[in-house]
Amino acid sequence: MAEESVRRDLDAAQVVRQTRAYYCLECGKCTAVCPISWREAGYSPRRMVEAAITDRGMELLHDGRLWSCLTCRRCSQVCPSDVRFSEFTRGLRALAREAGQRGHCSHGETIQTWMRLMANPQLRQNRLEWLDEGLRTSTYSDTVYFVGCLPHYDVLFHRLGAQGLEIARSAVKVLNHLGIEPIVLADERCCGHDLLWEGDVEHFCKLAELNAALLRQTGAQRIVTTCPECAYTLKVDYRTFGKSLGMEVLHISQFLAQKLEAGELELRELGGRVTYQDPCRLGRYLGVYDEPRQVMAALGLELAEMEGHRGRALCCGTSAWTHCGATAKSIQVDRLRQARATGAEILVTACAKCQIHFRCALDDAHLGDEIRIEVRDLSTLVAEALTGKACAVET
Amino acid sequence: MKIIVFTCNWNAYSALEMASYQRLSLPAGVRPLKVMCLGRLHSGLVLKAFELGADGVLMLGCPPGECHYEFGNSRAEELFRETRALARLLGIGEERLQLGWVSAGDGRAFAEKVQEFVKGVAGNGSWLKSR
Repeated sequence: MAEESVRRDLDAAQVVRQTRAYYCLECGKCTAVCPISWREAGYSPRRMVEAAITDRGMELLHDGRLWSCLTCRRCSQVCPSDVRFSEFTRGLRALAREAGQRGHCSHGETIQTWMRLMANPQLRQNRLEWLDEGLRTSTYSDTVYFVGCLPHYDVLFHRLGAQGLEIARSAVKVLNHLGIEPIVLADERCCGHDLLWEGDVEHFCKLAELNAALLRQTGAQRIVTTCPECAYTLKVDYRTFGKSLGMEVLHISQFLAQKLEAGELELRELGGRVTYQDPCRLGRYLGVYDEPRQVMAALGLELAEMEGHRGRALCCGTSAWTHCGATAKSIQVDRLRQARATGAEILVTACAKCQIHFRCALDDAHLGDEIRIEVRDLSTLVAEALTGKACAVET
Repeated sequence: MKIIVFTCNWNAYSALEMASYQRLSLPAGVRPLKVMCLGRLHSGLVLKAFELGADGVLMLGCPPGECHYEFGNSRAEELFRETRALARLLGIGEERLQLGWVSAGDGRAFAEKVQEFVKGVAGNGSWLKSR
């Protein structure tokens, strides 16, 4: 599968060319599966591509619908011409931004603002206070744990009961159990994913530059993340924008699946019936479908799949903290109904953002019990099930 | 130095007006911004001020029990706590983001609070590493 993303380009025609939009057959399969088209009359990936081809995208740059796309890649999956619509949208958004257009940022733009603040190289952050005494990290290790914005989400979404730092603590606990004392960077920045997909290439590049320098300095061989978006960005988009890390990048589910296979990790069986939300960046973008399922199997969890799963999974409703509204809510509620329909007790997520979005939708006085389901991150379940002998710590 | 002082329209702004009638001086670089209610602010707006180069942000509103909209100042307290936690992560010290109450017409208290805040910020230089 071609994982090549779109380079920054000033020319809309080039975006059209690079994302293969010229190859569109106008079959409309994309629109048929698009979760936005199902809910917003007038939104159609096919027609957006058509508009871009006829006027080289110039009109689209001022079209508010440009910001509706979830970039979930559901459309590209069914496209017979391999048009990369998500990257097409991303490329046009960057141009639209230059033309003074903006998406509607959710949460009062708090998130994008802290991300842009992090692009300042002179920042003196205070981001490691969550590391409890029981958690071991080190300056030299072959593994970096990339925390991402979890400490910040923990503050902003505390009232939703979202697992923010609990995910980070679980990850370090699991790594410690495997005999790894990971490097956790005091000066780490946001990976830049959300800014990039919202069209802010300038700040993305600044963040990538700072992170790449920091990560290369560590001398580590691999980066483990608990966020699929960090994983995809570090692995693919840093390379696309000329900031190759030369390190292996793994989502924690991939790393754990490797360890399970090698017999290096023993887990206690938790039991129970669960269902699983495939995050877009982990599933359709990185092709990681089996690994989280292997981990759940090792936890003795009975997996009841939702109506759409793996490549056909429904997105959690919002991406890049942009354009959240009635459509996003409708998608989330539908997904929660699908989760309920499986009869599962827990909806397992592997992305903190999926969890935040679902918990926000769950906080609904009218729907209440109709959609009620416990939401847990995979790594927190693993941390709960650690058993057997912990490995001796590498020195 | 750039200092943003958010005032609510009722108690704090009226105190600011009184301070100007009384010809009390405020330190240079102080930029008051009026909002209808301090509870209308958002962590995004406060962080935005820092992004745009503010050295400090002071939020001044109605004293407890005197909010023009009954509960706006308790909202302000909530968002202040959230913003301060985010600011802490970003390395913005506590002295640079504060919340205070001023009664309507109390120009002297307004000027004193602002002066005290500016002194606290000035004593610590920039919140960014100097190169």
